[in-house]
Amino acid sequence: MGSLPSVMPRLRRGSARLGRLDRLAWAAGTCFAAYGHRVGVRVSEPRLLECLGPHLPPGWTPSSSPVVDDLFSLWVDPDGKRAPRLSRVYAGRRRRARTASLDQALEVLESEIRQSVAAAAPRRTFVHAGVVGWRGRAILIPGRSRSGKTTLTAELVRAGATYYSDEFAVLDSRGRVHPFAKPLSLREEGRCDAHARKRRAEELGGVAGSEPLPVGLVALAAFRPGAAWRPERLSAGRAVLEMLAHTVPARLRPAASLDALGRAVARADVLMGERGEAREMVRALLEQVETAERVPRPRTGERGMR
Amino acid sequence: MTPQARTSGLVVRELADEVVVYDLLRHQAHCLNRTAATVFRNADGRRSVSDLAALLDPAGPAGASEAVVSLALERLAEAHLLEGEAATAPASALSRREVMRRVGLGAAVLLPVVASVLAPTPAEAAATCVSSCASKPDGTPCHCFGENPCTATCVANACSAGGC
Repeated sequence: MGSLPSVMPRLRRGSARLGRLDRLAWAAGTCFAAYGHRVGVRVSEPRLLECLGPHLPPGWTPSSSPVVDDLFSLWVDPDGKRAPRLSRVYAGRRRRARTASLDQALEVLESEIRQSVAAAAPRRTFVHAGVVGWRGRAILIPGRSRSGKTTLTAELVRAGATYYSDEFAVLDSRGRVHPFAKPLSLREEGRCDAHARKRRAEELGGVAGSEPLPVGLVALAAFRPGAAWRPERLSAGRAVLEMLAHTVPARLRPAASLDALGRAVARADVLMGERGEAREMVRALLEQVETAERVPRPRTGERGMR
Repeated sequence: MTPQARTSGLVVRELADEVVVYDLLRHQAHCLNRTAATVFRNADGRRSVSDLAALLDPAGPAGASEAVVSLALERLAEAHLLEGEAATAPASALSRREVMRRVGLGAAVLLPVVASVLAPTPAEAAATCVSSCASKPDGTPCHCFGENPCTATCVANACSAGGC
């Protein structure tokens, strides 16, 4: 990471034109790269650049080149003291938010940038999942938003696991998981994104991981109040299929996605079932990894992918 | 009939004794168990159902194995993984139960299974805000007012701001 350079970004030659949006008065811009994907943000007021830092994806690095793969725009009424017009966020030419709250606009911008990186990062496969490290292995908890991933990830961190992500498992071509350690978004029970609190792993008494890990356990756990965790063990093929349903570039790069998923599950236990409260689940997951470590035996795809 | 498995528009990966197939046209992924995978690999347009049955179980009774192959072909056709005549052939009318009766309960593990999922779009996989809650699971983030920030969730196929 570093400080954001002041560079007015432009899309690669041959990219779709942004039309009318390009004709607005953009006062400043910046460019950065994350996971090999180059992103530009332009703003209608220079002061907005100072607000961007906390909203960029983990591991971003400044880029001095103005040429980017994806361009985002944040427009705030420059002279709206009396009757301000709503702030707007654009991803490319598509308007993604129109709101009176700058904080909300920044949240939408942050989410849009993360998704563009997750979809387009070369050489990485992003799977929507919570991830922690335990005894040198990664535990993946794939699931949709509001499936309880962050709650379970936070409980695992409180129990001593190393924090990797509450949103994406970032797989490389060898199937190892890299950190995407953004602050955890902990929602209050029954409430939505607008009420999520951001907490760093250290605030939960944990620590964030920095090295890639092989996958030890994948828990496809659907929350149901009162349910006991009696999971089914999945074969390698079924495991890949279930994880593909949470894989961001599945349609964009299916071959690379299948390869990364196949290698990720080759030496992992992949379990699927209903779970109850996160606290009750934590011990079961950690013990599963410890048992697998003590008693080596064929895993989900021991014979591997051909 | 000499069934022919599709070869174009697919990404095929072998995992242990299963095969995972991604259909680039329909954006569907399929997991074929050992039996379905054996039929898929060997249905080359030259082998007959009897030939495929012999590959599955050389020592088994011919009728039983052919019933299993027929069921496998039916499953593969449903998943759009066959070409030509076999892709549109009428169902064999052999139920899974009937095939199990022929091969014996103990051999149920040999029955062909094709599990399928629809690959998500990037936005669906990341479970970002949807503008329509139709057929979306409860709890999917949505924006009630079109482009406004994501401050609501899908409840019973409708976007509800009640939780916010």
